[in-house]
Amino acid sequence: MSFQLSYKKTDLDLTQTLNKPKKWYYVAVFLLGLGVAWGAGSWLHQILTGIGVAGKNNPVGWYLYITTFVFWVGIAHSGTLISAILFLFRVKWRASVYRSAEAVTVFGLATAGLFPLLHMGRVWVFYWTLPYPQMGGLFPNFRSPLVWDVFAITTYLTVSSIFFLTGMVPDVAIIRDKARGWRKKLYGFLAQGWQGTDNQWRHYTAAYVFLAALATPLVISVHSIVSWDFAMSIVPGWHSTIFAPYFVSGAIHSGLAMVMLILIPMRSAFRLHPYITDHHLESLAKFLLFTATMVGFAYFVEVFIAWYSHNPWEQAIFIYRAFGDYWPAFWSLFVCNLLVPQLFWWKRFRRSIPFLVFVSVAVTIGMFFERFVIITTSLAHEYIPFMWGLPDLTFTELGIVVGSFSWFFFLFLIFAKTLPVVSMWEVKEQLDPPVVRKSKDRTS
Amino acid sequence: MKYKGANIMVIFPGMDALLGGIKELQRSAARNFLVYAPVPHHEIEHALHRPGSPVRVYALVGALTGFCTGWALTIFSVYNYPLIVGGKPLVSVPPFGVIAYILTILFGALATIIGFLINARLPQLRLAEAYDERLSSDHYGIQIFGDDEKLKEWGKVMKKIGAIEVKHSGQ
Repeated sequence: MSFQLSYKKTDLDLTQTLNKPKKWYYVAVFLLGLGVAWGAGSWLHQILTGIGVAGKNNPVGWYLYITTFVFWVGIAHSGTLISAILFLFRVKWRASVYRSAEAVTVFGLATAGLFPLLHMGRVWVFYWTLPYPQMGGLFPNFRSPLVWDVFAITTYLTVSSIFFLTGMVPDVAIIRDKARGWRKKLYGFLAQGWQGTDNQWRHYTAAYVFLAALATPLVISVHSIVSWDFAMSIVPGWHSTIFAPYFVSGAIHSGLAMVMLILIPMRSAFRLHPYITDHHLESLAKFLLFTATMVGFAYFVEVFIAWYSHNPWEQAIFIYRAFGDYWPAFWSLFVCNLLVPQLFWWKRFRRSIPFLVFVSVAVTIGMFFERFVIITTSLAHEYIPFMWGLPDLTFTELGIVVGSFSWFFFLFLIFAKTLPVVSMWEVKEQLDPPVVRKSKDRTS
Repeated sequence: MKYKGANIMVIFPGMDALLGGIKELQRSAARNFLVYAPVPHHEIEHALHRPGSPVRVYALVGALTGFCTGWALTIFSVYNYPLIVGGKPLVSVPPFGVIAYILTILFGALATIIGFLINARLPQLRLAEAYDERLSSDHYGIQIFGDDEKLKEWGKVMKKIGAIEVKHSGQ
């Protein structure tokens, strides 16, 4: 990279992403806007009519909303992994990809955060989930994993947003210095007076390290806590001690796939090939192979423990998953999450853009199925046969799920045209600094 | 150090020249100056010998406050309205530990960012009068504060070292 790029060229190349959008951009924003409108309309219909218009029922009280919630929280995980953990390990290739990965985190959480609200029968009293007492002095039950979840997701969204915005300040200052007119005022406001003095950099780099160190345990804890929403119950197929690492590895797996799905078209659209190279994508593919193996290991341990435990309900739920009403989803998740990524053992697949896209799409679908199978099948087939039952997929619920995907990509498109998608200052940090002459000290 | 009053902004096109300028200032025991760079460099950090950032203290105090708040909130809530659930003790350490753990991180992160803003003196409504737009891109700068006579001298010295421009301001 350092042989072709300079500080000036990096600034020019990476600020051109903010130029006037082309036609495809408006078309994409319009189509995604339609999806968001469908989702918003469906939600409004649900609020006005009642929660019964969603497909969830008794016994399957958690259906597509919670499936999609867990899916989006999972998607949000790779961003912090790439930005914080790889930063602490001083992995150089993260510089070009972490900004987009962080955006995936923030927008994934902004999407996931809607689902507890969407799931509520009376959304207008959502603030009852907050930790304050009712008029009798009774607080929410802090022993409940659902309350932990409120804390975990809110904290993750807050910390990842801070990390995302802090990382962007020096880049916004670069844009401010190049912009004219109202843009200069806007980016000047966003840059908050950043000038790049040695004092500012000294405190900035210290804060960045601490934010990374604080965000790192969140990667592990947030999805562990989400998994405990299930594992703390006694529902067969949920009550498992491996759920925390199982969910965390799955979250990173799906997040990496989504990051690749975002990076590949973005690289082509903005001509970012010198910055997001095949080496970066290959590194992500290797990571995906690693997480696929972890996820696969968790799948086999889960099935093995069901058999080895001699617990009839645990065994029954796994037989039901494999051969019951949702068997296609169950087998698909094995194929998509475990088998398809094995292609990445071969370099030519890791270097092939169509295969990278294919595997990323497969993993994204597979991880949605995984969440669906875990949540729906266990509730549909609990202990007592007369309690067994299946949910109905309704147009309202489908609209909200489609709306959530549209919302996520809509936010990303807006971000891509307003803020730098690749960290300029961190890319520049990897390059040789400009020098006047390579002689000894000029003063001597 | 007071970074106020009359000053000059010396612009350098490369880092070798900048390091030469810093060395010259230190040789003359000048301390009232700021260095501007588009990215952080260890070479500049080592040349300046500035003390470590106090942001770490903010992070520690914030994290400890969050840890204590987590325990205090959960324990207070159960003693405020004692309600035995599932035969468990009122103060249940594992679940309350989860809240304390999360608040440790949340308060630590918030305190870190507050510490950064306070120490970096952000937000600033106005940029330094002598600030140059090239400084965020591919140029380096030293802003030297002092009396006019001394600043004129410094301007000449810095030009010899490799500065491409010397801007006077704050007079």
